[in-house]
Amino acid sequence: MATIEGSAVKKVVVACDAGMGSSVLLTTQLKKTLAPYDVTVEHSPVDRVPDDADLVLCHSGLVARARTRVPDTVVIGFQMFLGDPVFTKVEAAIRDGGTLGD
Amino acid sequence: MSTQQSESRFASVRSGVQRFGGFLAGMVMPNIGAFIAWGLITALFIPDGWWPNEHLAQLVDPMIAYLLPLLIGYTGGHLVYDKRGGVVGAIATIGVIVSADIPMFLGAMVVGPLAAYLMKQFDRVAQPRTPSGFEMLVNNFSAGILGGVMAGLGLYAIGPIVTTVAGWLGSGVQFLIDMSLLPLVSLIVEPAKILFLNNAINHGVLGPLGVARVAEQGKAIEFLVETSPGPGLGILLACMLFGPKLSRATAPGAIVIHFLGGIHEIYFPYILAQPKLLLAVIGGGMSGVTTFMLLDAGLVATPAPGSIIALMAVTPRGDHIAVLAGVVVGTVFSFLIASALLGFGRAERKAEREAAASAKAKDS
Repeated sequence: MATIEGSAVKKVVVACDAGMGSSVLLTTQLKKTLAPYDVTVEHSPVDRVPDDADLVLCHSGLVARARTRVPDTVVIGFQMFLGDPVFTKVEAAIRDGGTLGD
Repeated sequence: MSTQQSESRFASVRSGVQRFGGFLAGMVMPNIGAFIAWGLITALFIPDGWWPNEHLAQLVDPMIAYLLPLLIGYTGGHLVYDKRGGVVGAIATIGVIVSADIPMFLGAMVVGPLAAYLMKQFDRVAQPRTPSGFEMLVNNFSAGILGGVMAGLGLYAIGPIVTTVAGWLGSGVQFLIDMSLLPLVSLIVEPAKILFLNNAINHGVLGPLGVARVAEQGKAIEFLVETSPGPGLGILLACMLFGPKLSRATAPGAIVIHFLGGIHEIYFPYILAQPKLLLAVIGGGMSGVTTFMLLDAGLVATPAPGSIIALMAVTPRGDHIAVLAGVVVGTVFSFLIASALLGFGRAERKAEREAAASAKAKDS
């Protein structure tokens, strides 16, 4: 089980099946919320998550695939695309410090 | 213990199927722009299009016969082995294209990655043994020779096999249409979508079949089966009115993203949270497909993303009402079934009253 300190997160990758639909939508939203903390947010297909990602977010139905792709990176799954508490938790950890684990 | 085991087996099968499906979709999805260009040119300039123009209509056949399969073959090769894989994939694809008089999408999806895989294996053996200074010579000629051989193989062997298989699949769909059984496909498609197989089904299976039918008949119902935003819209409307509190708050935003933005994934969590709603999307899917079938609706290209705007843009002249009717029927059925399953909000109101009551009890 991988963990990472919120302050160490410099690159968040949002993954979805094709890397073109829902992940782009979430990337746009997260970019806005994480802009003040010097964190880059990118989107990607879940099977092609870049190796230098610090934190991977994807729907819980895709978490297994993301873990096979980057076994040592923290992968956090969410349930809802809108208003999931995971996004607030991630933002809080990055803003105030705190450990994120999968 | 045994349920746990079977659950983890299900999870690993699911992620395996997802990955394979994602690979198929990954060959097609980056090229959707080209599909749309082709779809728009077809809808506008063919003899019964909006603005018939013989000169521009010349673009239609070469685009579907050569450009689109080559792009798929290239992208498939690229997924396996980068640009070098893409190049041999494209060379190999020309073989299956020439072998057949149908658009060779399935063939491109087979030979593109296969050629790239063989190139990768060859390089693994040959590159460490290549004397320095000869790398470029070896690389260029190995890609050229392997690609050429694969093109020949595609022309003689793989192309005819794929043509036969594509013929079976196409006549399978035709059989379902003839026997009025096409709506049954929703029994598989709608649950599979929720498991994030939506792209795999649409771009990996239905899209290639649809393209073959468009080349023959000018439009295809296959494009409508997965992409109709109706069933998902019905679910979201039902959740907005009768769902749990959190869904009620987020559903309106989700409706815009789903119906206009075409990102269907947004409604999957509402169903994953309450699996009984599957019955509603299946019902919406079946009634929508029935309507499309009865009204002989079809599209000229894959609407991607599955937004109502994209659907309308690739609807051939004269079919707009039929397509809209199927979307509306799918929405209404899915909404009604979902609302009934949610008890028109009764259970939710009861739960909220109880929560409020117990909170009050705690306070006092």
